[in-house]
Formats: sequence, structure tokens, C-alpha cells
Amino acid sequence: MTEYARPLPLPDLDTQPYWDGTQARELRAQRCSSCARLRWPPQGFCPHCYLWEFSWSQLSHTGTIQSYVVVHQAIAAFADAVPYTVARIIIDNTEEAVILTSSLIGVPWDEVKVGMRVEAVFDDVTPQVTLPRFRPSGSAAVDSDGPQY
Amino acid sequence: MRCQPTRAYASGLMPELPIKDKTAIAGIGWSTFSRNSGTTVMNLAARASLMAIDDAGLKPTDIDGIVTYFWRPDTPGPRELSAALALERCNYELFAQLGGGWACAAVMSAAMAVHAGVCKNVLVFRAMNGRSERRPTRASGGETGGAAQFTAPYGVMHAAASFGNYATAHMARFGTTTLDFAHLAVTQRKHASLNKKAMMREPMSIADHQNSRWVVYPFRLLDCCLDSDGAVALVVTSAERARDMRQAPVYIMSAMGGSEPFPDPWTTYGAIAAPQLYAGAGITPEDVDLAELYDPFTFMCMVHMEDFGLVPKGEVGSWARAGKNGLDGKVPVNTHGGLLSEAYIQGLNHVVEAVQQLRPSGVVDDLCDGPHTYDRTRCRQVRDPHIALCCAEGGQSSLLLRRA
Repeated sequence: MTEYARPLPLPDLDTQPYWDGTQARELRAQRCSSCARLRWPPQGFCPHCYLWEFSWSQLSHTGTIQSYVVVHQAIAAFADAVPYTVARIIIDNTEEAVILTSSLIGVPWDEVKVGMRVEAVFDDVTPQVTLPRFRPSGSAAVDSDGPQY
Repeated sequence: MRCQPTRAYASGLMPELPIKDKTAIAGIGWSTFSRNSGTTVMNLAARASLMAIDDAGLKPTDIDGIVTYFWRPDTPGPRELSAALALERCNYELFAQLGGGWACAAVMSAAMAVHAGVCKNVLVFRAMNGRSERRPTRASGGETGGAAQFTAPYGVMHAAASFGNYATAHMARFGTTTLDFAHLAVTQRKHASLNKKAMMREPMSIADHQNSRWVVYPFRLLDCCLDSDGAVALVVTSAERARDMRQAPVYIMSAMGGSEPFPDPWTTYGAIAAPQLYAGAGITPEDVDLAELYDPFTFMCMVHMEDFGLVPKGEVGSWARAGKNGLDGKVPVNTHGGLLSEAYIQGLNHVVEAVQQLRPSGVVDDLCDGPHTYDRTRCRQVRDPHIALCCAEGGQSSLLLRRA
């Protein structure tokens, strides 16, 4: 197997449970134990009530494209990938608290639209790292590994 | 989608700033802007700085504070320039790694040091060999921590790939198009064609823009700023001292800094800063005669026009198509050509241009031989401007300047 040549996440104590979650084919975010609000990105305390108690919640695997870009100009490790689409995705049922940046796959770049419905797929880029990516909802061969919401 | 709350300008709830009109920009300078300077960044910094100091009628040892900023480490710092200029003292230095968002905050910081009485004359400079010594964007394997752990693995490596999101959201929300972007690029190129120091002076057509290659959709090559070798500098002093110096002062009315939050997917921090910026000066956006707005990409200049209240939110596309940002438009914008066509000096060149426009004699480096004629084949001087707005990337810092 050739070595993975693109950037990988370097988790810290706050973000490790998220990346553990993607390996388990889950999307996770923290929910404040006091005000019950979800937050993103992971951090030790609630940005609304500043309390430190929280639990990790499983999120929906579906969402809506808020905005996107399409990288055409090759940069080093991604040279063989252009053009590729990177979107900001509002995850369902999070009251817009969780907006993930991720690859959008399975659709030609010039057919991407803001507001498009998408669903997560899990890409094991190395034995230790799974990157969630997104594709239009209802694509063929739906990944049935994760919980369906 | 969240919506931006309505904010009243100059509502009376926010007072004028105590620093209003208490400090001034007394000198400006620049080096040649090019693709390959053939010299060191220190020499570029010194050329621009010595010109600015002389323009103010000062000598280098009159400088007692130095401020600069950067993103990629690409410049000598204040203490190196202080040593190179053999200054006798430096009461205040600031070397901020806050990038293009900090261009106006650099001037603001100098003004605060002067207003506090710590310094008499603060030199602000920005210098780089941004083209000839630019290092390639890192995008190899390896681990990435912090906020980038959620973006770098997906190939988000360039400012276009983050700011582009504000553009596609704006396009979806308001019907803005890349053809609107073209009109902005063409207008700014016209301005640059009247600027002897601009790197890009050849005319650009709408077709040139529309036929240029995609870099990061929705941005084509001609939506993107230049990479430049060059430097600019300016001297900030007290309003009182400035009145006795060589040039007519340009007063600093108000200034804001900051960075977060961007209030919604199609709006920058500028919308957060603007109400207090204007209130600090005791004016409204209606009073702005020209604006020099950070333009790393066409759309960013456009959204800044909206977020600082020059254009109603969502209407900047038709505004640009109608040329209302031209030299004789409702509010002339980026009269030097901006980062798109003059040079990428990370936004401090915008402040230098505003100062030129506000001086009684006007700009010195257009194609007019004698007095300004307003003939737009030769002259880029705006007619009789009193107040200029400047903003840095994302509206993360901003200034209001007025002529003496």
C-alpha cells in the first residue's frame, strides 16, 4: 500500500472523540449538559453558558449545502484531484450549530447547488483515519454502515 | 439560514471616539511594485519608509515607533528596520501576524500609540517580495492540528477556498453572478491604467475576464489579486504636529479592529464593525466620498461595499454592472486599482491611495501633467473628496479618513 500523501487531521484532547466517531461511521458533536445546545467545533466549554459539562451526541448523516467552492488550480498533494468540490454542510437537526467543511463527491462540479441535500459517506483514508465526505442524497449504493436518521 | 440583524448607523447609542481627528497621516511612501524587485525586503521597506518620512518633512530619527504586520513570515520586523535606520529610540513596536485583515488596524495601532502620548511619529510599513520569493503553498502529507484539522484534509489550502464560500452563498441568496465580478475587475483595471505605479495597466475586457481560467470556483484568474514585490509606508503623528509638517494632514476620524464573527454566510465582519466605525466619526455611510476596500478577490471588494453600508445588502451586483464604483460613480472604489490591478501590498497600499486622494493637490502618480483635469484617459483624481473609507480583509479592520 502506498503512503497516504495528503494532509491528515492531528486530533487534540477536545477533537479526538469526533475522529474516533468517524472511524465508527458516526458524526458526533458535543451537547451542553446545561443548556442542551450542540456546538462546533469541539471545545471544552459551552459558548453560550460557559459550563464545562457535556456529552457527545450522534448527529444525523444528512444535511444541506450552505456554500461551496471548486478547486481547479492544482496544489501539490491534491494535483491529481482537480477539479474537486469542497462544501460547507449544515447538518440536519442541529439548528445550524454544526456546519461541517467536507468534500462533495458523486456529482459533477458544475451541477452543485447551494441548498442541495447531501448525505455522509465514510472514507477510510488510512487504517487510523476516516474522513467523512458527502454526496447527493439518494445516490446509488447508499452506505448502510451508519445509523440512518 | 440566519439573517443579519438590522443595525442603525450613528444611532446616538455609540458616541464619537475620543481619538476622532486627534491623529493624522502626515507622510506616505512606496517602492516600485514589480514581479521581481531584484533587492531585499529590507531595502524595499527602507525605500518606502524614507520616502514617507521625507514626505512628512521629517528625518528618520524623528520616528519613535514602528508597526508592521504579515501572514506568511516574509518581512523584517520593527526592530530590524529600527536598527537599519539607526533610530535613536523606539518607544513602541508591533509585529502582528494577523495578515490582510490587519492593514487598517496597523494604522489604528499607530494612532493609538500617538494619542496615548507614547510616541510622537509612528512609522507603519508593509514590505514583501511576495512574488519573487513566494514559497509554494504547503499541501503535502502529514498531520494538521487546530482549526485546519477540519479543512486541510479536504484540500482547503488557499484563501479562495475559504472566502469563495461567501461568494457562492451570496450568489445563491441574491442572484449575484460571475459576470458582476467581471464588471468590478474591469473597472478597477481602468483605475490602474491611470496609475503609474500599478503593475497591471493594460486594458481588460469583460470577455477577458469571462474567458480566464478557473482558479477556485467561483473565482477565475482575473478575480484574483496579484502577487507582488513591493513596499508602502506611512507616518502617523498628532493632528497638532501634522499641521506644521510639509503636507496637509489627512485626519484619522475613526478606526475599528477585530475579526469575528462573520454574521451570516454572505456577510463579513465589516457589518459588525461598520456601525461603531461610523458612529465613532459622527458620520453615516452617505458621507463617504470614496472607498479603498480590501480586494483579494473581486467578490470580497463587493461584499465589503455592502457590509460598510455603501450599497444595500444584496444589490452590489447591479451596482458594479452600472459602474457606480467608478471614478465618477456614486462612491468611487479602489481608485488605484486595488490588490487586483495595482499591487498586493496587503491593503496598506489602499490607505496610501486614500491619503493621496484626500490631499489638496491630489494624487501625484496618475497621467496628468499639471493640475487634475478629471479627463478619465489621464486623470484618476476623484472630484473634491472629503471623506474616505478604508477596510482590510473581511472588514476585520477599517478606517475613516478626512481631508484637512
